[in-house]
Amino acid sequence: MANYGMVIDLDKCTGCRACMVACKVENNTPESNLWMYVFRFEEGEYPSTKTWFMPRPCMHCENASCVKVCPVGARYKRLDGITATDFDRCIGCRYCEVACPYGVNYFNWQKPEENYYIDWADPDLPSELNGEKPGYANPDLDQAYGSENRRIAGGGHDKGVMEKCTFCVHRVEKGLEPACANICPTHAIKFGDLDDPNSEAAQLLRSKPSFRLLEDAGTSPRVFYVGQHEPGPESRQIEEISARV
Amino acid sequence: MGTSRRDFLKVSGVATGTAITAGFLSQLETLVAASPELLQVSEEFVPTTCWIGKQDCGMLARVINGRVVKLEGHPANPRNNGTLCPKGVGQIMSFYDPNRVKTPLIRTNGKGEPGEWRQASWEEALGLVAEEMNAAREKGGSKFVWQKGRSKAKKFYDSAFVGASGALKLHHGAFCSDAGYRALEYTIGLHGVLHPDMRHTRYLLCWGWNVTNAGGNKFCWLTWPQQLVEAKERGLKMVAIDPRQRSAAHFADEWAPIKSGTDLVLAMALCNQLIANGTIDREYLSTYTNAPFLVGADGLFLRAEPESEEEEGKPLVWDEASGAALPFDNGNVEPALEGEFTVNGENFKTAFQLFKDHVAEYTPEYAAEVCGLEASQIVGIAQEIGENAMIGSTISIDGHTMPYRPVAIMAYHMSQQELGFQALRAMQMVMMLIGSIGAVGGQFSDFTWKEYKNWAKFEHLKVKDETNLYLKDSKYFPINSNNSSLVAHVINNPDKYDLTDDVIPDVVILHHVNPLGSFPDRNENFNAYNKIGFVAAIDPWLSRTADYFADVVLPAATIEKYEGPISATDSYIDAETLRLPPMDPLFQSKGDIDIYLDLCEAAGILYGEEGYLAQINSQLKLEGEYALPLDRKPKVREIFDNWAKSQELEGGIEFFEKNGVNVKGEIAATKRYPYAMEEPFAGIFPHRFYGESLLVAQKEMQDLGADEIYWRDYTPFPVWRELTAAQSPPGYDLDLISYHMIEFKQSRTPVPLLIEMAPKQFAEINPKTARAKGIEDGDEISVVSHNAITDEKRKVTVIARYREGIRPDAIAMPHHYGEYVKHPWVKDQGPSPNVLFFTGEGYVAQTADQTYLVKVKVTKA
Repeated sequence: MANYGMVIDLDKCTGCRACMVACKVENNTPESNLWMYVFRFEEGEYPSTKTWFMPRPCMHCENASCVKVCPVGARYKRLDGITATDFDRCIGCRYCEVACPYGVNYFNWQKPEENYYIDWADPDLPSELNGEKPGYANPDLDQAYGSENRRIAGGGHDKGVMEKCTFCVHRVEKGLEPACANICPTHAIKFGDLDDPNSEAAQLLRSKPSFRLLEDAGTSPRVFYVGQHEPGPESRQIEEISARV
Repeated sequence: MGTSRRDFLKVSGVATGTAITAGFLSQLETLVAASPELLQVSEEFVPTTCWIGKQDCGMLARVINGRVVKLEGHPANPRNNGTLCPKGVGQIMSFYDPNRVKTPLIRTNGKGEPGEWRQASWEEALGLVAEEMNAAREKGGSKFVWQKGRSKAKKFYDSAFVGASGALKLHHGAFCSDAGYRALEYTIGLHGVLHPDMRHTRYLLCWGWNVTNAGGNKFCWLTWPQQLVEAKERGLKMVAIDPRQRSAAHFADEWAPIKSGTDLVLAMALCNQLIANGTIDREYLSTYTNAPFLVGADGLFLRAEPESEEEEGKPLVWDEASGAALPFDNGNVEPALEGEFTVNGENFKTAFQLFKDHVAEYTPEYAAEVCGLEASQIVGIAQEIGENAMIGSTISIDGHTMPYRPVAIMAYHMSQQELGFQALRAMQMVMMLIGSIGAVGGQFSDFTWKEYKNWAKFEHLKVKDETNLYLKDSKYFPINSNNSSLVAHVINNPDKYDLTDDVIPDVVILHHVNPLGSFPDRNENFNAYNKIGFVAAIDPWLSRTADYFADVVLPAATIEKYEGPISATDSYIDAETLRLPPMDPLFQSKGDIDIYLDLCEAAGILYGEEGYLAQINSQLKLEGEYALPLDRKPKVREIFDNWAKSQELEGGIEFFEKNGVNVKGEIAATKRYPYAMEEPFAGIFPHRFYGESLLVAQKEMQDLGADEIYWRDYTPFPVWRELTAAQSPPGYDLDLISYHMIEFKQSRTPVPLLIEMAPKQFAEINPKTARAKGIEDGDEISVVSHNAITDEKRKVTVIARYREGIRPDAIAMPHHYGEYVKHPWVKDQGPSPNVLFFTGEGYVAQTADQTYLVKVKVTKA
């Protein structure tokens, strides 16, 4: 069994946010649900200023606090390390959102068809769309995955249900890397089996000093960062994206 | 689509299989691995290219049951190596957006206000455009104008339309980087601005934001940062020169926060130091530039007697061997680079000596004062340029031993400033001094060393008394980047340029261009379009310009069409691709080429020897069996099929439908490096270190009575002067500059997925400056710009954002907000900085290029 993890090279990240958009298209997430978020930070005072960037997917923690608090077993760990969400089972209590120290859970406040950027019910949209909302709906998201045979890809996006990054489990099961790693223009995001010393992720992790976010929280994240440093109180967020309401 | 999925996979699986290293498969490979029977849905991967940016990255469109569900980077395309930028992946929304123009539209209300429309048939709309267009064509002159934003792919179908219709052409370059293009065309004869030889450069001056933010020379984005990251891992040292740190300085080893618009002075100070340190490449300067030419007191070259009356005498240099003045191209001449010499009783200095005298006053201390930098930093950068240039060293590539000067400048959009032409000349001269031009690791500006038409033209600038709509070859702007806002200024003020109302066009076709959204100054453009009798727009969206002024709108497709051929080179590997439609265009929209075929047919200029089809044959070099018949309207796919077959590609267009990209292999050193060529620099030299023809033009402009404001920057060397903007009253104390964000560059194309990434306009301001004005982070502020020539003022309100990474005397706003199209997502995003910039004298460069720098007064709103 693979032991999946992600290693992000902050020395290569240009903060372009292509990974955010690729995630949104691949997983058909509704407005404001940013499973991948790229922080842009500024530190210091003019002219001794520093600007840097940090992508933040779900940490897929080994010791995941969200899993512990889920009262219905909708949030669970797969044997390959992915922290999954069974959308059919989620009751929307939002305990996971409270328990997670990384803020990666997104609650669906609206019906997805009312929250997909444009009016997909427009009568002039052609019949080829077959009523798909959005038109770029990914058919892989509606399948059940894993030996437990649960619907854990995409997110369902139903009103009242929680969703977050799945490490693109539907792609991983096909042998593809997650959408964010696939799109990254500077190849800063590497995904793979951390137990396989030949995986690109494991190689990158060995190449430089690394850190994980909020190590003190004891969550043991499966996302590692190399280059730069852990953000602290001196790191001011710039060009932040807030939800459109 | 023409290709079945199985056929496509058969070829692509083989083509890409070897490229995958460890770990993950490409989409193609998994499809090869999967049995088609297991798939519940029809799935295919159609190769195409990006449409939203300028570099047309290779794409694979994942198509499910006829719907495009994802756009991914094409793994075999060298330009983007299987990746995409946020715009590339986000534009999928455009396929489906019901806010697009769905049918041809005809205006039912008056112009100058948001349009009211009735839907029309293609036949009716095209008939109307053809009728108006033909009436204007008959009148001739500048009555029929065709204006486009960025031509995507090879411009063959645009040029064919201009050729067949006789339209006067307007484009976008003067708002982009054309001052830089003109400077490089003038100085070394290539059509490009400044970029490094990324594989070999060791020391890079990133001047402006292009290397890591949305744009750059020849590429729109992705390729440069990709190569930069690799170069950094190799040990490249990078210095960022820009008033904003967010431009490229987060990747830099050093940030030089220069005062806006003073770049010329820094470049000249670097020249001063390179000369003082003796780190100059005398061999390059003596052999390949006009630096050793003898210049008289009149500023002109000393010339030999001409061989005939039509010819000019050859410029002379001082031959050290014989102690006499000899023609520069005399085989055995040993030219003196420096010094003053007496010939026939008159004194002459070498151009280099004049330059040395000229830059003597540009000391690091003087530059520090003007540029707002520390003198020690300027001294340090010059020192490092000199050390890293390794003057005298050589390197061998493909068996060619060539000069190795691994120092270069990356600059592009920063050329759009009042002294842009001369600032870029000055930056080029820094690289000339160290012999970096075309050396390995050195200064490049195009991918091949090919003479651009302006090189010869600029030897003698045309300075005519009579003029025309865009003041071409005039006493006002002898070097002219065709600035459509200046054209608008001429339309609004023909008397000022000794023109009459006759010059005002009757008909304008706007093809994917949105002057009211994209170009400053907005007022000038608004007033000009108000005077045009008939405007037709070809666009997928209802642009602001079309909404206010179009009589007819023709709905165009986005990606879903054929365009090309498209270069897919990364500057090292040669490759070519096409844009192919991954699905049919939605609504009633059509591909651009389809629209021109139909329009030309309606106008009666499609067929025959002078017609559009003949023009296409000529533009694409379709001859013999591949030439389009001149009496039958072809399918667009057929045009590209003929073209592909004429390129001897097996299967014609099917080659691209299967493979997406034709990778031709590494570009040979003999094509890439001018020192590896049979004749160095492809024979395009001596490089114009000294701009004699600029001085000649200046005198001619004076003789024709042009005002000083037009001729003052036509000087043989770059000369600093106070900028026009600096003459605004003291209350206007901040420099407003603008920039692009990689995730938001869409003055014509609204994509909700991208608008979500950058939802609101803001103005970056240094907290110290802001606090002194009582402005908190997030406050709404009033920004008022001032025109120092006309005393006009413009105002916007915008949210202030604190940034430590910006000079305290600057304020910066990203481009492309301000309701540039009719679309629910662009409402209330905040204003475009184009409202605040001015066009016209003082706010355009000597080449008629638009300036993006103005003085503003900022107060809490």
